[in-house]
Amino acid sequence: MTIDPLPCVSRVCVVARNTAREALRQRLFQFIGLLGILLICGIQGLRGLNFGTSELKFIADFGFGAIAFFGSMLAIVATSQLFFSEIEHRTVLTLLARPIHRAEFVAGKFLGSLALSACFCALLTGLLMAVLWFRETALMRTTADAFDHGRAVDYVAVLGAGFAQWLKLAILTALTSFVASYARTQLFTTAAGFAILAVCHLQFMVQASAHSAAPVYLRSAVTALSVLFPNFQLFDFSESIAAGDGIAWFAIGRLTIFTAGYAIFTCSLAGIAFRRREF
Amino acid sequence: MSAVPAVVLRDVTKDFFAGVRGVRLRALDRLSLEIKPGEIFGLLGPNGSGKSTSIKIVLGFLAPTAGTAEIQGVSSARPEARASVGYLPESPDFYRFLSGRELVTFYARLSGLHGARLKTRVETAIETVDMSFAADRKVGSYSKGMLQRIGLAQAMVHDPEILILDEPTAGVDPMAAASIVKLLLLLKARGKTIVITSHLLAEMDELCDRVAILHQGRVLAQGRPAELTSRHGTSALRVGPLIESEREELDRWLLSRGHATTISETIRPRIGELFADQIAAATDEKKSR
Repeated sequence: MTIDPLPCVSRVCVVARNTAREALRQRLFQFIGLLGILLICGIQGLRGLNFGTSELKFIADFGFGAIAFFGSMLAIVATSQLFFSEIEHRTVLTLLARPIHRAEFVAGKFLGSLALSACFCALLTGLLMAVLWFRETALMRTTADAFDHGRAVDYVAVLGAGFAQWLKLAILTALTSFVASYARTQLFTTAAGFAILAVCHLQFMVQASAHSAAPVYLRSAVTALSVLFPNFQLFDFSESIAAGDGIAWFAIGRLTIFTAGYAIFTCSLAGIAFRRREF
Repeated sequence: MSAVPAVVLRDVTKDFFAGVRGVRLRALDRLSLEIKPGEIFGLLGPNGSGKSTSIKIVLGFLAPTAGTAEIQGVSSARPEARASVGYLPESPDFYRFLSGRELVTFYARLSGLHGARLKTRVETAIETVDMSFAADRKVGSYSKGMLQRIGLAQAMVHDPEILILDEPTAGVDPMAAASIVKLLLLLKARGKTIVITSHLLAEMDELCDRVAILHQGRVLAQGRPAELTSRHGTSALRVGPLIESEREELDRWLLSRGHATTISETIRPRIGELFADQIAAATDEKKSR
């Protein structure tokens, strides 16, 4: 039988679809998703912890916090687990015995994990919008004076901020995939993933202090670090939404292009590292 | 039939480095094999002899330290070399969250099948391994024998010219093993090249056109089973029941020719044959009730 050679993209999609399907059927990931959903649905019960901020700002802040926290957890654990389950169960052998490039396998696993993050972000952002909408509607009834100019929350901006959270998870997934491509154990990959998350979240502080008073070599090192590990604070738009400033769509566009380039570059490196791996 | 060998290993050496000090372990030592199209080729040898390592080099899972491996004339390092190969690993484990049908469909898609042809091939492969009854059950609920059979279905779903099977009958009951052997003979009749490893030597004797006996990464002997065994074997003559005088006469004749041997051995069926007969009889009895 002659078989038409599958284009590279189709093979990647077949692996990605299977990866996403595996992820969506796993109890652990369903549980993480459920926790996120429960937290967002229960935000109103935590209003007492608002530290004096307005209620809608608190809901937006808390909601995006939940998306960031559980999303990061999901991105790291799912990427490393889905990658190593192929190796531990030796399904990678039957998969790579097909005419598939190692880089296509890595790309498929990355896209599958990314699809899971997309489902998570879409679901939780949608829920957050619903919670904000219902609360805002209730507040408009009780304190109509405060809403003279109509609704205070820009819901399109909430959607944009949810998308930015997903971009952040894409970078985290790409970096975890890179570690998984050469790491020997899932534990190491997961630990490295969380370390990367911490570095990316804190690097702006190091950058700020280095640029103020550090010698030139240290500043260069910090600049190099900021290229390797993107500043995750740039992906957080919850502050501007809560302040009613809307969202800088130009910044979202720039982040999208940066994330696409960064993910392609990191996955290419992962593909190269994985090519040398023996089973 | 193509003149290009189905699989070639040329002077392949494979070293592994173990421990902190990187102690070298030589798994294959200048191993050379040439497997012809359409034959069943058996790789025999004890654990650690290099059977699985040879297969992994052929499939590109391991890179040889020295030497080359080719599939139909294409270097096995290139993915396109594997387009005509179906592979069943030893003790296979598959995606437990998929049903048998979903699993075979997944591998068919990876091999480039799509549309109506994909559907037909998936159904044919499932029927060939006699798994239609459990095709919609999750793979996680399959027994070892069922896993082996669905593994065979995924290996042959794209109708490959070469099948590489690592211990296909390991851990399955004798009935399932017999059905796998029958299936392999059917595939051979269709002109497929089959490379097989097994510890079950009697089974390999029956199945293989040629075998290679490996030990410590080297080929000890290679050839047709009959050729190899004739160098070491004894002759057997099967006759009907003999009366005492006939037996004594035959004994005398054999002694006169210098054969100090006995001919009064009771021939019993092999335990595998007995087992198969008993199970078949019990199944028939249950059906007839």
